Amino acid sequence: MTSEEPSGNSLLLRFPRRIWSYVLGGLRTVRRVRGPAAQDLVGKFVLLVPAFAGSALIILILTFLWYEAAPIFLDPRGGPSILVQPIWDPNRDLFGISVFIVGSFVCTFLAIAMAVPLGVGAAVFLSEFCPLRIRTPIRMIVEMMAAIPSIVYGLWAYVVMVPWIRDSFAPAVQSNPLTSWMPWFQGSTNGLSVLAGSIILAIMLLPTVVAVSDDALQSVPRTYREASLALGATKTETARKIVVSAAIPGIGAAIVLSLGRAVGETMAVLMVTGNSLQIPYSLFDPTYVMTSIITNQLGYAFVFPLWRSALFAVALVLLLMSISFTVIAKWFVRWGMKTRGLV
Amino acid sequence: MVKDRVSETSNEVGETPALTPIQPEIERKTRLLLWVRAQLLVRTRRELKDLLLKIVFAVAMLIVVLPFFLVVVNLAAVGLGGLTLDFFTTLPGPSLAGGVRNALVGTILLVLVAGAVGIPLSVLGAVYINEYSRPGKVRSTVEFASDVLAGIPSIVFGAFGFAFIVVFLGVGMGLVSGGLTLAFMMIPTVLRTTQEALRQVPVSLREASLALGATKWTTTWRVTIRAAFPGIVTGVLLAIGRVMGETAPLIFTSGNSLGLPTSLVGPGSWVASLPYTIWAYVSDPRPYLQVKAHTTALALLIIVLAVDVVANYISRRVTRRLV
Repeated sequence: MTSEEPSGNSLLLRFPRRIWSYVLGGLRTVRRVRGPAAQDLVGKFVLLVPAFAGSALIILILTFLWYEAAPIFLDPRGGPSILVQPIWDPNRDLFGISVFIVGSFVCTFLAIAMAVPLGVGAAVFLSEFCPLRIRTPIRMIVEMMAAIPSIVYGLWAYVVMVPWIRDSFAPAVQSNPLTSWMPWFQGSTNGLSVLAGSIILAIMLLPTVVAVSDDALQSVPRTYREASLALGATKTETARKIVVSAAIPGIGAAIVLSLGRAVGETMAVLMVTGNSLQIPYSLFDPTYVMTSIITNQLGYAFVFPLWRSALFAVALVLLLMSISFTVIAKWFVRWGMKTRGLV
Repeated sequence: MVKDRVSETSNEVGETPALTPIQPEIERKTRLLLWVRAQLLVRTRRELKDLLLKIVFAVAMLIVVLPFFLVVVNLAAVGLGGLTLDFFTTLPGPSLAGGVRNALVGTILLVLVAGAVGIPLSVLGAVYINEYSRPGKVRSTVEFASDVLAGIPSIVFGAFGFAFIVVFLGVGMGLVSGGLTLAFMMIPTVLRTTQEALRQVPVSLREASLALGATKWTTTWRVTIRAAFPGIVTGVLLAIGRVMGETAPLIFTSGNSLGLPTSLVGPGSWVASLPYTIWAYVSDPRPYLQVKAHTTALALLIIVLAVDVVANYISRRVTRRLV
């Protein structure tokens, strides 16, 4: 008891003293340097400002979103329970945002379910079987796909895919006795649906999944493949059981990263999901996602403090989700590097 | 092990060894034919499975690249007819019957403002963490911050730009607010590619400069930056290509206008941009505006892809860091 207290105290006291000595030492150096060395030292401190611009920006974004979202969390008409309340009706002071969270998650998981198997399969082909001559152009096309703006994808989905779902896909699966009984194919549709949203989202995620998975597969040492082939495994057996399992952390990072992008994607999803305040039960139901509600209503809500604050609460939820996805992806890679001895 | 003969091509086993060392005297067509035959050669059940899985992976690859062609073909089919020089040199005018000069000029101005703020910030930051800081807390903090920034959804940047720059700082909507919001989005891309480019500069170059008596400052600006220049340009171009196509951050920060901006702040500084114009035209029920939306989208697509291709051409070696 008595031995603990002084040590804790002295640590607390020693800490500022150490910083103080650093500061004194720094000042002494500053006074001593002349000429080019002074230029060097000044340069170092000047560069410190832009280096921390990113961190400052994140803190600023978090502060401002919190500052704007705080009223709804502190107001009796809102409170933290808006995160689980299902009804959004700003005219009656009902600010439940759970419908948007559910809509976002449904779209995201459908998109991931489509994009990940396809993307990983394509990455395996690209990295293991693709002849070098067509590898470069395909890689280039994939990088171009990543560069296409989301509004262009949205335009294409709105003009081509939505009518296709309305006129061809929905009648086809609903009249086919093999598929018409399935609960997720029920309901009439005008094409603007969670299905359209998740397909365009999957198309937009594919380049990321393919590029990151391809990088991960490429970084698996050649000797692993050679050892497996020397043991008599075929090329696909090697690819599936050796290369993919060695590249799992990278692929996992690709999936988590694309999760973040899918949740945050705005324009394309806004244009094709139908923006109707309901939880989707079938693939043909429209829905409303988090990014769409901000885009659609922030302009009108500007003059209503509570309404605006609720929209910023949605933005805050989005921000926290994207930060946690980034952290998980980084953690995934580090864990994989450690367990696989690739550091 | 069971060696059941599945295919009748098994009598051609003898031809495969000729493939492994590529012989220059075999002409290309024959070599391709032999290669295809070797790929389709199936002797055991395991090899059949091998072949089928390869086909599955190849089909996955085809499905992945298919949307690119679908999008380009659709945009070109509808929008190519309107893609004339007039389209870029006339203002929309009454009932939006004209071109999109306002949007083109607006996008260029927004990118200029964003670049003027974002590029120095991120290049200087990258120089600091790669040249002046030791690996440790400082470096990992900056790297982590830029990775987090890269993952933040664009609409959150838009909402932040609206709350902070437009309302709190009182700048108001317009060129400056939109450009600053885009500048924030440029930081992670430029910072990480610059850092990667600086890392690839050999230490011996810096050592040679320092050994001649140059200070660190001189070494950095006269030697290291010059050696890393292609990589930095690549990063800048990639970032420009990305922010050019962003719509969501601009909706609440840059406003929209049918003319050219006349002032730096205030209502005169409201600017249109290509992506915002596409969105506005698609939301409009008039049919000729749908065609104009396609033409604008085609133009935006060509510009963005051109920037991307140039970036890749300048430096194929700078890897795109996504994690």
